[in-house]
Amino acid sequence: MIVVTGAGIISALGAGVDTTLHALLEGRSGIGAINHLPTEHKEFPVGEVAMSNEEMAALLGAHYPENGLRTVLLGAIAAKEATANAGLSAEDLRGAAFISGTTVGGMDKTEKYFKSAFDSDSKAEDSRELKYNDCGYSTELIADLTGNFRMITTTSTACSSAANAIILGANMIKSGIVDIAVVGGSEALTKFHLNGFNTLMILDKERCRPFDRDRTGINLGEGAAYLVLESERSAKARGATPIAILSGYANTCDAFHQTASSDNGEGAYLAMRKAIDMARLSPADIGYVNAHGTGTPNNDACEVAAMERIWGYDMPRFSSTKGFTGHATSAAGAIEAVICLLALRHGFIPPNLGWKTPMTEHAIPVTKIENCKNLRHVIDNSFGFGGNDSSLIFSRYE
Amino acid sequence: MNNRCFVKSMAQVSCQKPLCDEWFDSPCRYAESYVRAIEPDTKGFILPAEARRMSKILKRTVCTSIDALNKSGIDHPDAIITGTGMGCMENSEKFLIDLSRYGESCLKPTLFMQSTHNTISSLIAIILKCYGYNNTYSHKGISFESALLDAWMQIRSGMIRNALIGAHDEVTPFMRLVMERTHPEYSFISESSMSAMLSSGKDDDSICEVEDVRIFHRPDPAEIASVLTEESDEILILGLNGNELNDRPYAEILARLTFPPAILRYKHIFGENFSSPAISFLAGATILSRGSVPDFMKCNSDDTFPVNIKRITLINHSDSSEWSMIRLKSCCN
Repeated sequence: MIVVTGAGIISALGAGVDTTLHALLEGRSGIGAINHLPTEHKEFPVGEVAMSNEEMAALLGAHYPENGLRTVLLGAIAAKEATANAGLSAEDLRGAAFISGTTVGGMDKTEKYFKSAFDSDSKAEDSRELKYNDCGYSTELIADLTGNFRMITTTSTACSSAANAIILGANMIKSGIVDIAVVGGSEALTKFHLNGFNTLMILDKERCRPFDRDRTGINLGEGAAYLVLESERSAKARGATPIAILSGYANTCDAFHQTASSDNGEGAYLAMRKAIDMARLSPADIGYVNAHGTGTPNNDACEVAAMERIWGYDMPRFSSTKGFTGHATSAAGAIEAVICLLALRHGFIPPNLGWKTPMTEHAIPVTKIENCKNLRHVIDNSFGFGGNDSSLIFSRYE
Repeated sequence: MNNRCFVKSMAQVSCQKPLCDEWFDSPCRYAESYVRAIEPDTKGFILPAEARRMSKILKRTVCTSIDALNKSGIDHPDAIITGTGMGCMENSEKFLIDLSRYGESCLKPTLFMQSTHNTISSLIAIILKCYGYNNTYSHKGISFESALLDAWMQIRSGMIRNALIGAHDEVTPFMRLVMERTHPEYSFISESSMSAMLSSGKDDDSICEVEDVRIFHRPDPAEIASVLTEESDEILILGLNGNELNDRPYAEILARLTFPPAILRYKHIFGENFSSPAISFLAGATILSRGSVPDFMKCNSDDTFPVNIKRITLINHSDSSEWSMIRLKSCCN
């Protein structure tokens, strides 16, 4: 059995698991106007982390990362919280793996120096800054700020990156390669992907409205979250109290299109179905689905189609929490995993903010916070470009 | 992990003749410090209309993937797992150029759509209609080993029966400049794509067995040396490139070995990029299936090489912080 023994998070809702819980309970969204990102596109609301790079560096204290990459600062804050929460010191992590999902990595730095590095009289010092562009570099810095890990690696499957980092960690524990894995993802807002999503015309100039008939797109977000996964045996041996069980998971591919989902949501359907099978549950056992629910017409329609293939018209409670955090792309799977853990532990269903009109009469999300003390099994969906679809099931540890 | 994991087929595109083993018998030699890959003939792999829309790395990936797949006799792999250090660099770079020249108003969606690292793995899944496990690793010079570890572990544990794995990196002229300035340890930069089919089943065509895969973060040289001592590994392929900055960490490990292994190198023939370890895998597996070692790979004298090659161990490092060890074993017992 794989258990979760620690969690850490930073998002537009603030830094820390407790801050996140309070924002969810109060129904307070973190989405607002762009403040830090140096873009012309101020018309798009985003789920930006309120702290500046300098403020995050100050929070990390003496461990200020030399290059101030936003992905690293966010990641280090969340990863340090997760390992502290699990009662693990830097040295305790010597046998552990660190697996992080990211897609933009150090793109913020690249954007800043690209022009001067690329121009004909390219400056060596500016092109040196581009070293930090690759995904692995930011993972390495986060890992080294967190502990002395035995191995580290980076998953990069766009918006399901963090979910796939969690799946790799779980499989490594099951296979006996490691006992403990710190897994999740980190992603800062950048001009690169804000503009990228804008070229696809899937950003909403108003607050996003996942699963609403009149939804028109995404509010991008940023942040990081990590979980400490370990075998139940390892947790017991060191006297750690599990927060939850990672009882099922699946990674599938929609195999349809690089940036669109298939009409019947094949990849999403297979991800949820296989995760339910791995957890040896029946669909009726699922008390809540934290949907990928980006707010684009395509994603939400396909996700509902996939859910209907599993549950028929007897849908479980579901909501997208992207109205709270924005869509934190590569980090989303881990941020929403932490939200699922909070829902399980404190017995509530977080609401789908911004929803007004049903898409169909059967697909109505939870729109007001609901007490649900008997919540036992929840699904966290993460679907990425390229049809990289993953689902995770967290179950109450008893 | 009770099952075994075998290599069924492989294919490469690099600065050597593409989609064949000609490098083994008569390698192309280069005096330059940077050469691009020799492009494969896409006929038979990609329709011309589709090829026009694909970047170089995507074309190479489709060719090596389909070639490896055809040779393996497996139509629908259970998993597709890719490693790439820089992803679809050409498209990312074009998008960044447009962003820096023309600002944020007239950018092209296609460049963004085909810029993410997972474009490669997804494209193969879309072509093959593979709905199974699909993942992409992007972690410097251990991107390939991460993909291999994932596939190997899932095959050994019985989670999947087979997997199409690969590692792909393109190096544009601008990236070459950046790499030379940020990685002083490099000596000959090139591009490479390598795909391989792994399977739990052994048959007459199996190339070799993947016995062990390990990744280390900032290991002590003694730790790697002790791993090698466990099995008294006789033949090592190392990521040596003749540059002192790159080669010294390997020497520190060799100095700790109590036995003298035979040493092979490959980067002087294939060049170097984040996906290079996949080429050491291709080279090691080819040596095991042919039962001989090409002279141009040998770093020490002939008498250190065993007559009967049973096992080859690959050791690579990236920035001397990330290390990997892969043990390949001969199928001919």
